[in-house]
Amino acid sequence: MFQRSVGLVVAGVVTVGAMLLWIAVSYDTPTSSYALGEGIFGMWSFLYSLDVPTPRVIVAAIALAIFFAAGINFLEWRVTNRSRRSSNAFKTPLAPKLVMAQTRHVYAGPMSFTVLIPAHNEEASLPATLTSLLSQSHRPERVIVVADNCTDRTASIARNFGLEVYETQENTQKKAGALNQVLSIILPDQGDNDIIMVLDADTTLDAGFLKSGVVRFESDRALMAIGGLFYGEPGSGLLGQMQRNEYVRYSSQLNRRRGKVFVLTGTASMFRSRALREVARNRGGLVPGTVGDVYDTQALTEDNELTIALKTLGALITSPAACTVVTEVMPTLRTLWVQRLRWQRGALENIGAYGITPPTLRYWAQQLGIGYSVIALTSFLSLILITILALEAWIWFPFWLGLGIIFTIERVVSAWKGGWPARLLAATVIPELLFDMFLNLVYIKGIIDITRGRQGSWGPGGDTKPDVTDGELPGHVLKLGAR
Amino acid sequence: MPSPMGILFPESVLSSPFVSVLAAFVAVNTVIYATLAIAKLVPAIHIGELIPGRRRRFETRSIFVDSERTYGDREPKRAHITESSREV
Repeated sequence: MFQRSVGLVVAGVVTVGAMLLWIAVSYDTPTSSYALGEGIFGMWSFLYSLDVPTPRVIVAAIALAIFFAAGINFLEWRVTNRSRRSSNAFKTPLAPKLVMAQTRHVYAGPMSFTVLIPAHNEEASLPATLTSLLSQSHRPERVIVVADNCTDRTASIARNFGLEVYETQENTQKKAGALNQVLSIILPDQGDNDIIMVLDADTTLDAGFLKSGVVRFESDRALMAIGGLFYGEPGSGLLGQMQRNEYVRYSSQLNRRRGKVFVLTGTASMFRSRALREVARNRGGLVPGTVGDVYDTQALTEDNELTIALKTLGALITSPAACTVVTEVMPTLRTLWVQRLRWQRGALENIGAYGITPPTLRYWAQQLGIGYSVIALTSFLSLILITILALEAWIWFPFWLGLGIIFTIERVVSAWKGGWPARLLAATVIPELLFDMFLNLVYIKGIIDITRGRQGSWGPGGDTKPDVTDGELPGHVLKLGAR
Repeated sequence: MPSPMGILFPESVLSSPFVSVLAAFVAVNTVIYATLAIAKLVPAIHIGELIPGRRRRFETRSIFVDSERTYGDREPKRAHITESSREV
């Protein structure tokens, strides 16, 4: 029942939050006097309004911001520390203390990497992926291209590279199902120093990705997984640049968080085999899904789900700055809409499946944060529109102008590493504001879909699996986890 | 200054109770987001990195049994540290 209403819960909480704030400010009886002053700048005269919220309101708003930001960070810090220190083998079998104890004074042999590349009709992008993989300074010991229901030359391209090909057998569960099939075969033979890497067929690794993984896994035997930091490929004009800016900001954010992972990206992530085995063993118990499956085939964003599963089991995971990959950007608004709707619905479904637990608190907060920003941005744009349509002359509002400058600086600085195109786009503000509004619409659609879709497909006698492939584009069915 | 503005609503709408409250609501939200934006501009402080010895581990965590490296091969301060336990 909880899973079905996850969208409504999130929407309800943010709406109530916004209403409480609305009531609070209305009790404060604000008066917008729009008392105007006239200024002269050389030959140019202009009107301005010194309307400013009372200092009390400003201080209260700043306090609220600090309270929420610090609160979320504090909660996350406590949850992380708790799994670090846990020695409860029943609840957190992957906690560092336990893994350390089990592997102390045992050398399980040299590091060995097995790379799995799930591919569904990827003949166009596969060669670049394989070339980047095989030219790594640390070459993987084994590469298996998992050809899933391919009708093109994917398998033969892989064989031409001299690589193993695993063709899935009657797989109907997309990427997760394909990976589960091959993992069920190879995992039992993997030792503690054997690493499984999952790499999307449309992703190219930057040099040093594997080497950095080797160093990390060698130096910390309790480290269970490493996720890649992804950057957008060049091209696709303004829309591509907006996605690249978004990815640059996400990577910077992870750097600030010292690699604390939100999502072990499906584009390129490495797992110690022990971690995957424990997840499979605990499915249907500590974590949702079918026992024996590494990936939850019900999850729309299976990489996000696996990340939450690992955190739930107490695993130590990171995204080092050196592990970067280049992934595709969506070339059109329509494909972007489909991709983001999948991510959004997937994220909601994942936290719905786990409920409110310590490891999911951060993800709940993230959903609430996006939800509230929908309300905040919409009311902001509405106010601007009403003001413009009502004022008879252009009036400068230094207070709002000041805030606008702060936002612009933040946008430019956060996108700085993306180079001049990224900085210029950030400085123009409006396109990124529209892009945010687009993502907000996706968010609302996601909430509507999850609420309606689940009720429809989980009714009596209905299909137990929600129909999540509506609007899926051919060739994109396997790219569920490009995040 | 001639302007195409003010074409839809009379200017008095701006001092109506609803718009006044909307303006105050937006102001509070905007200040909240501006605070968060400033927080993102300020370099993050990780207390653990400032205290000498906090990065030292009690025992080696290397896969090599005879390794004596108790700092591990973590990246230097400015790169990020494994979300790992200094406490373990």
